[in-house]
Amino acid sequence: MAAIPPEQRAEWEAEFEAAARRPLRTRMRYAFIRTYKPVLDDAPYRSFDTTAEYREWCEKNLPSWLGYGRGV
Amino acid sequence: MAAAFDYRQAEEIRDAFARHGVRYLFLGKSGAILLGFPDTTQDADLFAEKSPDNGRRIVAALQELGFNLSAAHAEEIVRGKDFVQLKNGPFDLDLIFAPDGIENFQQAWRRHVEVEGFPVCHLDDIIASKLATNRAKDRESLPRLEAFREYWLQHRR
Repeated sequence: MAAIPPEQRAEWEAEFEAAARRPLRTRMRYAFIRTYKPVLDDAPYRSFDTTAEYREWCEKNLPSWLGYGRGV
Repeated sequence: MAAAFDYRQAEEIRDAFARHGVRYLFLGKSGAILLGFPDTTQDADLFAEKSPDNGRRIVAALQELGFNLSAAHAEEIVRGKDFVQLKNGPFDLDLIFAPDGIENFQQAWRRHVEVEGFPVCHLDDIIASKLATNRAKDRESLPRLEAFREYWLQHRR
């Protein structure tokens, strides 16, 4: 893992501690959000023979800003 | 567009899948969230065992949950496509039969963790899957997820 600045690590650990004090039901209410994702949300059903085909489809069809592209 | 996934819906999956004997695990960020990782995501990822029998069980459970599956969709799930994306039900669901970075379902099952009855992939498998997938959004979240792994291993009961 890349070196994480101590202050960043401390901030994350405080977040982990805070989350651990909440019941799962509450954590899930904070965690699951819903926003429209162009292209991805435009079909009710998709299937792919292989996971590699799915990854390729995402790279070719989804806007790059959605973050589904690989590499680098 | 379906509503955001919530605890009640997770319970519905857990209970319907249990009634039908489905072999599956929560994977991805939704799995990490169940383990306590404080972050956000949009849908639930389920790693399901790839077999015709498990596929039939999945179809029956999904239909019970209100997913609108055609005969062709059901046949694909039974046949075991590697990746099925469902946005035709009460919430969005990704069914993953061959996730990147995890050798097979049996190995992941041996390491899995139960949280309030939810079967969840071990954090090491969730991280391995994200590392192998190597999407921009995964690379962005991995350092914090790896820090959470250290915290989780120290504090899990």
